[in-house]
Amino acid sequence: MSEVEVKVGERSIREINEEIQEHAANGLPMHITDTLSRHNLGIGLPKGAKLRFDGSVGYYCGGLNNGATITVERNSGWGTGEAQAAGDITVGGYAGMSVGAAMLGGVIHVKGDCGPRCGVAMKGGDIIVEGKLGYQAGFMSHGGRIIALGGAGESCADALWEGEVWVAGPVESLGVDAKIVEPEAAEIASVEELLATRGLADNNREWRKIVSGQRLWYFESREANAWLMI
Amino acid sequence: MANDMNNSDEERYSYPFEMPSEEAVAFSDGAIDGRPAGVPSSYDKGGSLRWTPDAISEVHALAQLGRYQVRGYNCFNQRLPTFDDLTFVPATMTRLPLEGYREKCDTTTILGNSGNVENPLELKIPIYIASMSFGALSASAKAALGYGASKVGTMTCTGEGGMLEEERAASERLVYQMSPARYGLDLDHLRRADGLELVVGQGAKPGTGGLLLGMKVSERVSKMRTLPPGVDQRSTIRHPDFLGADDLAVKIEELRIATNYKVPISIKMGATRPRYDVAIAAKAGADIIVVDGAEGGTGASPEMLLNHTGIPNISAIRAAREALDECGMSGKVSLVAAGGIRSGVDAAKCLALGADAVMIGNASMIAMGCNSPRYEEDYAKLGTSPGACHHCHTGLCPVGIATQDPDLEARMDVAVGAERVARYLTAMTMEITALAKACGKSSVHNLEPEDLRALSFEASAFTGVKMAGIDRAFGW
Repeated sequence: MSEVEVKVGERSIREINEEIQEHAANGLPMHITDTLSRHNLGIGLPKGAKLRFDGSVGYYCGGLNNGATITVERNSGWGTGEAQAAGDITVGGYAGMSVGAAMLGGVIHVKGDCGPRCGVAMKGGDIIVEGKLGYQAGFMSHGGRIIALGGAGESCADALWEGEVWVAGPVESLGVDAKIVEPEAAEIASVEELLATRGLADNNREWRKIVSGQRLWYFESREANAWLMI
Repeated sequence: MANDMNNSDEERYSYPFEMPSEEAVAFSDGAIDGRPAGVPSSYDKGGSLRWTPDAISEVHALAQLGRYQVRGYNCFNQRLPTFDDLTFVPATMTRLPLEGYREKCDTTTILGNSGNVENPLELKIPIYIASMSFGALSASAKAALGYGASKVGTMTCTGEGGMLEEERAASERLVYQMSPARYGLDLDHLRRADGLELVVGQGAKPGTGGLLLGMKVSERVSKMRTLPPGVDQRSTIRHPDFLGADDLAVKIEELRIATNYKVPISIKMGATRPRYDVAIAAKAGADIIVVDGAEGGTGASPEMLLNHTGIPNISAIRAAREALDECGMSGKVSLVAAGGIRSGVDAAKCLALGADAVMIGNASMIAMGCNSPRYEEDYAKLGTSPGACHHCHTGLCPVGIATQDPDLEARMDVAVGAERVARYLTAMTMEITALAKACGKSSVHNLEPEDLRALSFEASAFTGVKMAGIDRAFGW
């Protein structure tokens, strides 16, 4: 099906999103032009929606995504795909802070580098970064995988719950309570399989899998009686 | 001439009776060897202002634990001013009262009527149930709060643990809280909510995220929060995807788009610098601002945060209202006061100080039976007693409210709890309207600072309310 054009320009964000929602409801793929790096484009879209942003976008593009496939041809601002439950977002260039913050599922794929706190508080799904992760990637992430091909900045995988950060390339420093573990072959295969679906097949990567050291998970006791002194 | 050096015998006064013996002058009863008779010790209760028995026992506790203490409930700082430092001055000669037992007083409360959203929250009373999470509270307690609030036409709020189906089903109106940790957040829940609450802090521990000890992180709680079961959940306080006011404005717009501009968005904050914080939240686009005073409750917190952070509710309300007035947002942005509200009297004082509504947390738990004199042996196991329990953090709540233990939760009967909450809210509302009518008001929202007088310099200074009698606010 041919794409319909949605021009962003200086129009109100409400009007633009209503037009996007209407095309999504009608199953029409969209080519979105004149984006002007505007914030809040393509919020809370359902499964089946297809959007191609011809340019850069601002904050929260694809936020609360519920199944849409979104491509940003250039760069994206903070919180790209934040709280995404399902769907697929690809950023052709660089992405700002907090990519995939609190996301639950689906895939976010950044071809360039991404800013700090990528995957912060994420609960599930996969974030693929072809470039380098900014500092404190995966901060307090609960689940899911952050996969970086171009290394990671400082304080990588800080204070994780059960999220995983996979890095091919140098890691400037590990965050609080983070530890590198030897991945199992099946886990590597799963990561490589995902990367192959994005045209990134390469079986010669050296992976660092970073997980929680679990020292921050508990105070000294899990027994209620230990908390009665007060 | 009298002076302290005059010892001459001729000037001494003599009784017209015999001088009593030294033994008779001394209090002989209860004398202890080695001390003046009748004086066991001048300092038998301790005398140091700094090293009180409480301060000493705190040092002993810390010396044994090697960490700060953690507990639930609320602020134990005895020096906080209270609502009791204010009194109403009903209509007398200058104003006409309404008939307390005959005439009507409107209690309808509309929150979020900013013009930005389709469905402001219309409540029948100016009180609603505060955001308390499933996790901190049992599912039965959450459901009871929902049904009780619905019966009297008001609402509840999810707290940070995600949307509990029992609570959604029980609550005619339910506000969905987005905490920094975003537990259980999804689009479906946002769209099923009647309002959103972005929490940037809470009165009990402003500047610090939620705490839920492992004993309460049950299978169900852990699943809803995507956490390993049994971990001590210490939440973030900074939101993951916005930092300052400008970002918050963009975030609010995103949430409006996600909810199709239908439901109001609140910002809940702990009371710290309300004059500035409230202005910033209003500027960022909040429809409702909740200011939670230092008296506010919590399921668990480091002790010193509970006792030594934040400012009292009564001082925050006036500052918040003035901030909204100054930036022209009064009437557009609703102001909700929370923190330590115990009764309709306290609630009425909040309304008079400038709140559009109040939110109650601890009070609603107490209404359901928190600290009630049952299961005394279980209170004793916690080292406490009914009326003094503050052990929400342990998950061993004797009455089944602040627990995830199925046996304890079974003690919280949903129907009974709901009815208690409904009756308590009804009684509170009657207290508010009775006071309002005495002050000559046909709507509870017409209560104003002029209806109050301060009973202490502090209360007057904190609130700008005139001192009783002298009728001038304490000035600097």
